[in-house]
Amino acid sequence: MAYAYLFKYIIIGDTGVGKSCLLLQFTDKRFQPVHDLTMGVEFGARMITIDGKQIKLQIWDTAGQESFRSITRSYYRGAAGALLVYDITRRDTFNHLTTWLEDARQHSNSNMVIMLIGNKSDLESRREVKKEEGEAFAREHGLIFMETSAKTASNVEEAFINTAKEIYEKIQEGVFDINNEANGIKIGPQHAATNASHGGNQGGQQAGGGCC
Amino acid sequence: MNFLRGVMGGQSAGPQHTEAETIQKLCDRVASSTLLDDRRNAVRALKSLSKKYRLEVGIQAMEHLIHVLQTDRSDSEIIAYALDTLYNIISNDEEEEVEENSTRQSEDLGSQFTEIFIKQPENVTLLLSLLEEFDFHVRWPGVRLLTSLLKQLGPPVQQIILVSPMGVSKLMDLLADSREIIRNDGVLLLQALTRSNGAIQKIVAFENAFERLLDIITEEGNSDGGIVVEDCLILLQNLLKNNNSNQNFFKEGSYIQRMKAWFEVGDENPGWSAQKVTNLHLMLQLVRVLVSPTNPPGATSSCQKAMFQCGLLQQLCTILMATGIPADILTETINTVSEVIRGCQVNQDYFASVNAPSNPPRPAIVVLLMSMVNERQPFVLRCAVLYCFQCFLYKNEKGQGEIVATLLPSTIDATGNSVSAGQLLCGGLFSTDSLSNWCAAVALAHALQGNATQKEQLLRVQLATSIGNPPVSLLQQCTNILSQGSKIQTRVGLLMLLCTWLSNCPIAVTHFLHNSANVPFLTGQIAENLGEEEQLVQGLCALLLGISIYFNDNSLENYTKEKLKQLIEKRIGKENYIEKLGFISKHELYSRASQKPQPNFPSPEYMIFDHEFTKLVKELEGVITKAIYKSSEEDKKEEEVKKTLEQHDNIVTHYKNMIREQDLQLEELKQQVSTLKCQNEQLQTAVTQQASQIQQHKDQYNLLKVQLGKDNHHQGSHSDGAQVNGIQPEEISRLREEIEELRSHQVLLQSQLAEKDTVIENLRSSQVSGMSEQALATCSPRDAEQVAELKQELSALKSQLCSQSLEITRLQTENSELQQRAETLAKSVPVEGESELVTAAKTTDVEGRLSALLQETKELKNEIKALSEERTAIQKQLDSSNSTIAILQTEKDKLYLEVTDSKKEQDDLLVLLADQDQKILSLKSKLKDLGHPVEEEDESGDQEDDDDELDDGDRDQDI
Repeated sequence: MAYAYLFKYIIIGDTGVGKSCLLLQFTDKRFQPVHDLTMGVEFGARMITIDGKQIKLQIWDTAGQESFRSITRSYYRGAAGALLVYDITRRDTFNHLTTWLEDARQHSNSNMVIMLIGNKSDLESRREVKKEEGEAFAREHGLIFMETSAKTASNVEEAFINTAKEIYEKIQEGVFDINNEANGIKIGPQHAATNASHGGNQGGQQAGGGCC
Repeated sequence: MNFLRGVMGGQSAGPQHTEAETIQKLCDRVASSTLLDDRRNAVRALKSLSKKYRLEVGIQAMEHLIHVLQTDRSDSEIIAYALDTLYNIISNDEEEEVEENSTRQSEDLGSQFTEIFIKQPENVTLLLSLLEEFDFHVRWPGVRLLTSLLKQLGPPVQQIILVSPMGVSKLMDLLADSREIIRNDGVLLLQALTRSNGAIQKIVAFENAFERLLDIITEEGNSDGGIVVEDCLILLQNLLKNNNSNQNFFKEGSYIQRMKAWFEVGDENPGWSAQKVTNLHLMLQLVRVLVSPTNPPGATSSCQKAMFQCGLLQQLCTILMATGIPADILTETINTVSEVIRGCQVNQDYFASVNAPSNPPRPAIVVLLMSMVNERQPFVLRCAVLYCFQCFLYKNEKGQGEIVATLLPSTIDATGNSVSAGQLLCGGLFSTDSLSNWCAAVALAHALQGNATQKEQLLRVQLATSIGNPPVSLLQQCTNILSQGSKIQTRVGLLMLLCTWLSNCPIAVTHFLHNSANVPFLTGQIAENLGEEEQLVQGLCALLLGISIYFNDNSLENYTKEKLKQLIEKRIGKENYIEKLGFISKHELYSRASQKPQPNFPSPEYMIFDHEFTKLVKELEGVITKAIYKSSEEDKKEEEVKKTLEQHDNIVTHYKNMIREQDLQLEELKQQVSTLKCQNEQLQTAVTQQASQIQQHKDQYNLLKVQLGKDNHHQGSHSDGAQVNGIQPEEISRLREEIEELRSHQVLLQSQLAEKDTVIENLRSSQVSGMSEQALATCSPRDAEQVAELKQELSALKSQLCSQSLEITRLQTENSELQQRAETLAKSVPVEGESELVTAAKTTDVEGRLSALLQETKELKNEIKALSEERTAIQKQLDSSNSTIAILQTEKDKLYLEVTDSKKEQDDLLVLLADQDQKILSLKSKLKDLGHPVEEEDESGDQEDDDDELDDGDRDQDI
């Protein structure tokens, strides 16, 4: 229950690329081949460990359909991380990435970590987007990149955890203002308490949190 | 107000005209005046008129006011007036004191103006942007205006806010406002905003609403806080009710733990303010929202677990058992505890262990049941207790067993000191209060729900009626009361209990049918043509009869399925029976009860159906109808079919098992095959590898041969390569010479060995001859000589071997040095090369030669190895010859011993002979002395001759 940090994520991308399946695989470790269309947003959560610290991930899985776009935009601002997902078997989902990215950059805080995900890597035979193209896009726009399969669970853990690692590093570097919850980051209750009572011991990583 | 009504009617009268004109003038000033002060004054004037002349101001000024909001943003004062005016026009709040008939009109007015205002969605967006102004005079009226817009026309305004970028997020910032009025009105605004809009509820939750609201509630002192706490709780309820995503977020955010503090209500506080009661009521409802039976099962159970783990359930149970709690709160607490424990084994177990702080302590369940069967308790409280009991038993076989056990003869407390749950239920079942009857019957039915064991156990229960009379079974007593014709509520309760009891339990059916009065009673009830009131009882009787048929195992001859069916046909008629059966589900209260598990009735008269019972009816109605319509033949056929099916099933399972076994075997065999295949492949590859290696070696050997020849040819021409590698051929030739030398050495050694062999042979032969001749003395010196010779030779050989091995090691080191040199050369060659092509060719050539040389050195090594092997062989031979020599020596020694022995014997004999000669001589002389003829001298002489001969032989031997 106790956690050192809490990160808020959003999952975005075209409809049918497997956003909900990625979340389900990450939180419940199962795959549901037939999934209802997500209406608006759905919530999921899981605890992970980075650098020996418990980190709670709260994830909002958004609807990919255009009609929900205005609703899902409301979630950009408060998120520390975003998983931008496309489907490697559908080129159009890859082509729309620019629009998604513009949208995300426009409405989110500038430090939001974005992970580009090419999902459905198990369907190699139907692949339309090469891995290199995804890598190139990510390089060009300064994103982390990964190909995953929500079906086989390949790289799913890594996608969520690597994003968290990136956020964690940014916190260490002092890029994020962890006291502003609007950034999608929160210090855990125990953590904050120990920080206040004997801040010197905890020191280092969140010196900015307790002292000032 | 007459005035207003006149306007609404469209009839304009004299005095209003002037007001309308004034408003028109003011509007013109707002629109046309260039001076801000002018405009501001005009808006202020409009504001003052807006309450009284709502319609006029609304119609004429709205457009201008909106324009002011757009253009005069820099002046907060005029904006504030404009917002206030709009609020007055749109809001109905101010009209509350107005009499009834006009309220209706003003409501219409408010919604109409709202419609006009939101016709341009930009107006709402404009309002949202104004809320970003920090100025209190802008923000506050803005909040109030938006709230009333939402109250008037929720869905369209919500939609506009949802679509405008960050609209909801901006409104969430209001909760962070340091000015309490704005924060509190912000809560009200969010209440209106989140009403029945899942998408907005989720965004608000995403923007940390839970955290903020829980903080506000804590700051305000939890349930002791004022109306702000109430507002926050209502907003929380809006966010959580029927919103699974938000409930999940609430649970995952560990907010359930924070609810525990809400219920830490001290006993010392006797005064319960109305606000506190309201707050606590809302808090309890919020708990119920999270564990509602209508939520997805997984969600509810995880919340239930969390509530137990954080101690929330324990806290609620403390309230349950505390004194001085208002009945209202107590009832809701019971309902809340019910839903927190419903279907959750851990929580149910905990609840069973809760004791009331009385002396002696009584289980909470008993204390609650006492209230349930107590006429003086409030109706809602009794309903709540029943619900709690139902929830305690829901999917709780253990609990069901414990309750039924309190009724069984073996476990009843003989002392009668403490009342048990079972006793209370029986008391309720047979009390004069029909409500108690109903509650107890339903409660008991829940102890049997889906639990065949307890249905059978309950058949054992015997009741002592009055002194002198024999005890009656509980089942019997129920039917007795039923036949006595008491209140409908009582009879319905008992019939529901009996239906639950008998369903899925053929033994209970047999018990029931065993009482010969029961079937006639049921058929009588169903067949009679009674009033509408009795229809429900008729339906229930039909259901009970149907259950007696459907779950009949034909163990009673008089009441087999067939006979009962015939009875229905004769006495009631199939159609009639089915119609009566249908009365149950057609009852108006039936569908009401089937919606929710909680027994929630507006008044005692409505207390007719139990939720679980409606499920049972749904399940049985169809099958009973089918069973009634089926003829006996069909029944038989069906049974036969069932039997054959069972047989088939058996066969199928048998085969299935067989297939499974075979499958296992197959799997094993497959594995074996695959391992064998694997091995086979491995072996084959090894073979091919080896073959190819051999081939390679052969090729290399051939190449070497050829290259060696070539090398000699090309040495001259390849000045570059030769210069670099020149040392190598020389070295090799030297090595070869050395090997040649070694070979000659070896030959020498071998010849020496052969010599030694002959010597050994000689030795052996001489030894043999020596033994036969018995002339060994001469043999030994020769032998010694030979041995010495051999030894010498051996040492010489050894030294030679030593030197050879030294040489070999030297050669080896030289060889390795050479190899190293060759390697370095091979590396250096490409660098030195001028043109790449040439160098490449050269290097390949050089490399080839190198490898050839390597091969040669290897061969040389092999030869060396062979030589060393031969050497060891020679050594072995030497060893063996040495050992034969040793053996010979020992034999020789033995022979020496024998010789010396025989010499000694000879000496002894000579001495003996000499003695005897002397004796003879002395005897002869004696005889001569005695004068005896000395003829015997010849004889003795002959004897002497013989002895001489012997002597000679001995002497020969000596010589």
